[in-house]
Amino acid sequence: MDPMREPTPDESPVEPVRFGEYLRHASVKYGEIRYGDLSTLGPRGKATRIGVTPRHVLRILAPYLSVRFGEQLRAVLPLALYLALFQALILRQSIIGSLAISLGLFAVIVGLMLFMEGLKVGMMPFAELLGTELPSKLRLRVVLVVAFIIGAAATFAEPAIGVLQSAGASVAGDRAPLLHALLNRHSVALVLAVAAGVGLATILGVLRSLRGWSLKPLIFATLLPTLLVTAYAFLDASGQVERIVGLAWDCGGVTTGPVTVPLVLALGIGVAHAANRDDGFSGFGVVTLASILPILMVMLLGIVLLHTSNPAASPAVAGTSDVGPSASGLWVAGMAVLGAARAVLPLCLLLIIILVWLLRSRIPNRTITFYGMALALLGMAVFNLGLAFGLGSLGEQVGSIMPAAFQNLAGIHGSPLYNSALGKGLALLFAFFLGLGATLAEPALRALAMTVENVTNGAMERGTVIGAVSVGVGLGITVGVAKIIWGFSITPILLVGYAVLLGMTVLSSEKFVNVAWDSAGVTTGPVTVPLVIALGLGLGQASGVVEGFGILAMASLFPIGSVLFMGLLSDWRMARRQGLEEEVEEELAEASMMN
Amino acid sequence: MDKKRKFTVLTELSLITCIVQRGKANDIVKAAVLAGAQGATVYFASGSGMREKLGILGLAVEVEKEVINIVVPNEQADHIFEVMYKAGKLDTPGMGFIYITPLEKATTFIPDHVVEKLARKQEQES
Repeated sequence: MDPMREPTPDESPVEPVRFGEYLRHASVKYGEIRYGDLSTLGPRGKATRIGVTPRHVLRILAPYLSVRFGEQLRAVLPLALYLALFQALILRQSIIGSLAISLGLFAVIVGLMLFMEGLKVGMMPFAELLGTELPSKLRLRVVLVVAFIIGAAATFAEPAIGVLQSAGASVAGDRAPLLHALLNRHSVALVLAVAAGVGLATILGVLRSLRGWSLKPLIFATLLPTLLVTAYAFLDASGQVERIVGLAWDCGGVTTGPVTVPLVLALGIGVAHAANRDDGFSGFGVVTLASILPILMVMLLGIVLLHTSNPAASPAVAGTSDVGPSASGLWVAGMAVLGAARAVLPLCLLLIIILVWLLRSRIPNRTITFYGMALALLGMAVFNLGLAFGLGSLGEQVGSIMPAAFQNLAGIHGSPLYNSALGKGLALLFAFFLGLGATLAEPALRALAMTVENVTNGAMERGTVIGAVSVGVGLGITVGVAKIIWGFSITPILLVGYAVLLGMTVLSSEKFVNVAWDSAGVTTGPVTVPLVIALGLGLGQASGVVEGFGILAMASLFPIGSVLFMGLLSDWRMARRQGLEEEVEEELAEASMMN
Repeated sequence: MDKKRKFTVLTELSLITCIVQRGKANDIVKAAVLAGAQGATVYFASGSGMREKLGILGLAVEVEKEVINIVVPNEQADHIFEVMYKAGKLDTPGMGFIYITPLEKATTFIPDHVVEKLARKQEQES
């Protein structure tokens, strides 16, 4: 059946032609150009610019933008819709300033899109380069110092860290003076403490990559002191330290955001490559440490502050500083832009200084890098604006009128809307689905789940990981909201919860330990964190409890548990199956002996 | 075991290779399968070219690529080639590159009954 064969005269008189062959010649006209003619047009070795028409520009940019816009849209929109619907249908309140909120949400989406792209284009290649070059060019001690500084600087750039600072105004100064002082007068010290925690975690992460340390002892070494300090806070007679437990544990979730995690990971992976020690798990663990150590730092800072200065002595400050953040829209906008500059510029400068001055290399692709950094700056500013006007205010609004479902709230007609039990039940149900939905939409979780499936050879499926983490976060947020509604202390839950987690960690295999502890940090992304903090603070203020922190802390605790539990379950199943097979084999062997 | 092993090879086929930006391969493979392709292999790569020639617009073009390999019968080759070209919007700068390579022979799992049927058909014809 060779088509090239010449027809011979003795074959049938009708010449068969394949339809496909016919189509090929008849349907499309090919214009032909010699590739040699095309490729010799420009000068050799140098890229020739290609003139593009506006139509082409549009066609190039449309898919590029729509993919990136869509990514953020998918993360933000369902959450915002859920909040708005809850407020409209269950709480029966119209949304105040819905135009500003819509614009704000749009700004959040655009800002995140620009920021992520800037991070990817401008800073990620940078961090990877640093990771590979640092260990080969500098001594270990210097490398560790640099790692510390980078980790700390990344914390400043974290979009959610600004939320913590602005949250200070809403705390009742007279009932929790220490917490109030920490968030207002000493807010710089607070951020520095968090940054120091992340910096230490980065050092440990780099050492772990270099030396191949196991994660379990590291978890014990960092978590046990943290738990001890928390227990001390619980037992402290003045009761002041316990007020900051919620804030401190929330900080752990705040730090592990879209800047720190990839930057620190890139650094760690670079170092692991340089040390020839990349086992697929070296990237894990840093995130965990970066969530635990800031907690310890903030707790210690609180205790030190309590003993050095007397925060209770100056409750008068509370009144004046409360007015600040809500002064005017223009002021908020200015702060947003300023905050962005303060967050992004130092990190950029630091990276450049380290590369040029310490490593004496040149900045790769200078234009593109600077373009990326400018984009990150712009994105951050837009994101901050959107956060202030859109997501944050929506969260706070829902939070502040949520108590109307179960208690009498001034200014809301007909409250309580439902009887106490039903209203509280609705609020908790709302919290559960908020956590579940927010986590399902988190792009970082999808990436984690994919890695898990690959590394465990399919023993833990992608879907189950996402499910376990999402349900965990849902439960966590529910408990956190319950804490605010009933005003109980979360310290015992934290102590008992983490003690149980440590126990499970001892039993689990190293692989699952890595994944489980990291899942907590990963779930609390740039959209979830500000939203949940705003919600908690609004709810806390409206229902009259002292502070509305702690929801994030709970949202980190539960997913670790659910993933560890799944890991143990799958190990146990595997062991049982093996046991059964052995039994069967033994029986067969016995049977054959009998014969 | 002196028995000669039977070995059936497929002939008259071509390889279509299409290089596109990361994340774009899925749609193109779907279009190709709809047009009659039997399957596809996709792997990751990184490449340059149009990105450098577009100036600042080049930033919109990913460095990370996906390479699609599809083996097709010769008579379907041009049709699938055109379908993939359209599905990938390759007439836009920076979207990718596609080419056809003639293959000498290939083989894979071929169901026994198909081999027998085709052999019988050939006998009848001759």
